[in-house]
Amino acid sequence: LSDEPRIEDLLRELAPQVLGMLVRRHDQFDACEDAVQEALLAAALQWADRGVPDNPRSWLITVASRRLVDEWRSESARRRREESTAVLELAVADQAVSHDDTLTLLFLCCHPSLSVPSQLALTLRAVGGLTTAEIARAFLVPEATMAQRISRAKERIKSTGMKFDLPPESERADRLRVVLHVLYLVFNEGYMTSSGISLHRADLTTEAIRLARMLYEIAPGEGEVAGLLALMLLTEARRPARTDADGWLVPLDDQQRDLWNTAQITEGVALLTRTLGKFPVGPYQMQAAIAAVHDEAPTADETDWPQILALYEVLEQISPGPVVTLNRAVAVARVHGPRAGLALLGTLDTDERMAYTHRLEAVRGHLLEQAGDLAAARESYQRAARMTASLPEQRYLTLRAARLD
Amino acid sequence: MKYMIMTFGSAEAGVAAMGREWMLEMVKFMQQLDKDLKDSGELVDARGLADGSQAKTVRIKNGIPVATDGPFAESKESLVGYWIVDVESEARVIEIASRIVDYVKAPIEVRQVMDAPPDF
Repeated sequence: LSDEPRIEDLLRELAPQVLGMLVRRHDQFDACEDAVQEALLAAALQWADRGVPDNPRSWLITVASRRLVDEWRSESARRRREESTAVLELAVADQAVSHDDTLTLLFLCCHPSLSVPSQLALTLRAVGGLTTAEIARAFLVPEATMAQRISRAKERIKSTGMKFDLPPESERADRLRVVLHVLYLVFNEGYMTSSGISLHRADLTTEAIRLARMLYEIAPGEGEVAGLLALMLLTEARRPARTDADGWLVPLDDQQRDLWNTAQITEGVALLTRTLGKFPVGPYQMQAAIAAVHDEAPTADETDWPQILALYEVLEQISPGPVVTLNRAVAVARVHGPRAGLALLGTLDTDERMAYTHRLEAVRGHLLEQAGDLAAARESYQRAARMTASLPEQRYLTLRAARLD
Repeated sequence: MKYMIMTFGSAEAGVAAMGREWMLEMVKFMQQLDKDLKDSGELVDARGLADGSQAKTVRIKNGIPVATDGPFAESKESLVGYWIVDVESEARVIEIASRIVDYVKAPIEVRQVMDAPPDF
């Protein structure tokens, strides 16, 4: 039994390598992916029982290849003659791991022509090696729904004739941005999403960090990959303090900082130090740098807000948008006082992109409260509570408003 | 993003107002819609509720909870069924709702399910 977590970790690590190898050889993502999932299930059962084989990757390739052959056998006799010999040769050869395969796999699962929910689901299954049932549980949908989503995504890959190749250099930066965004969403889904009961679904954050770490090992020369991994680590580090014993949200200022995970903070900061200034600066690196300033402050009062404000100014230059402006307003308020922050918030009132988000009103509520305008603060909190689709946040904002009655 | 799509009224009132043919077509439409939402990987749950006349209303009387027969609201305001879908955007859920409204010919309500990330 003590071997079980190790087997699971091993399988998840090997999943994209085995799949990448098979797809590179056969160019049939759909069939190969099914075969690898079956091989992973078989391994999970057999290895727990009889121990891990000497060469686990080879084992998986052999079993997955057999499934493929079985599949083709039932498909057509012609195919079988052409393919089965080749498949078995491959299994025996057990070629060296190619990092490019795993990277190509990520690019394929995060192809811009797939919908975002499909990109997330497919990445977790094909690259993360999670089962459909695990992914369905994580996203709180029925397994049949998730199975259908994955199968449609695979059909789309097939029907649009996407090739198992790295994108050309000219598209690479854009495509990498999509991959990073998908990993970021997986992390957020785990870190922040709530079914109303639990605020945190650790499996998804762990998985997102694992995938980001894997990507960083494959592509250490991409500053934004390092930035995203650092951002995840520096954010995840605060998780133990983010809710109280009753499951209520605790804002950053009130968090018990000795609960923060120092190992993750150290790793995140070290990663950031190695990265900043050596690569073109990007939004993930800047967000990680901001998270690091928070994480390194021994108390909320000792937070280096001028530094955070300077970082938000850089972030706004490289990646402008209303949400960045909103966050900058928080920093402006800390450095120059709540009225200065409120003035900057005012510039967002006519921004249509902010019309449907509660965030503007939530921040305004906090700043009005700090400025001593309690009646207006209460109204802002109440408006924000009505607009949010997050249950813990709604409770938090409603209470915040009630406190000012 | 998850949304609940709600329809109101009653089958009886529907048949009275729109006729039997409409009702039969409606059943086919609902089956097709459920199938489409399953195929697209967006359906989380879909249920029809027993007629509002069969409802019980529980309220406090003299300090004790008491159940009484009957719906709380008029039948046209009574919930008869819902879908919960997990979709990519609000635009998509409006598209699904529009398809239903086209058939039902009565307003339906779309509400986001509270499982979005908090932002701080």
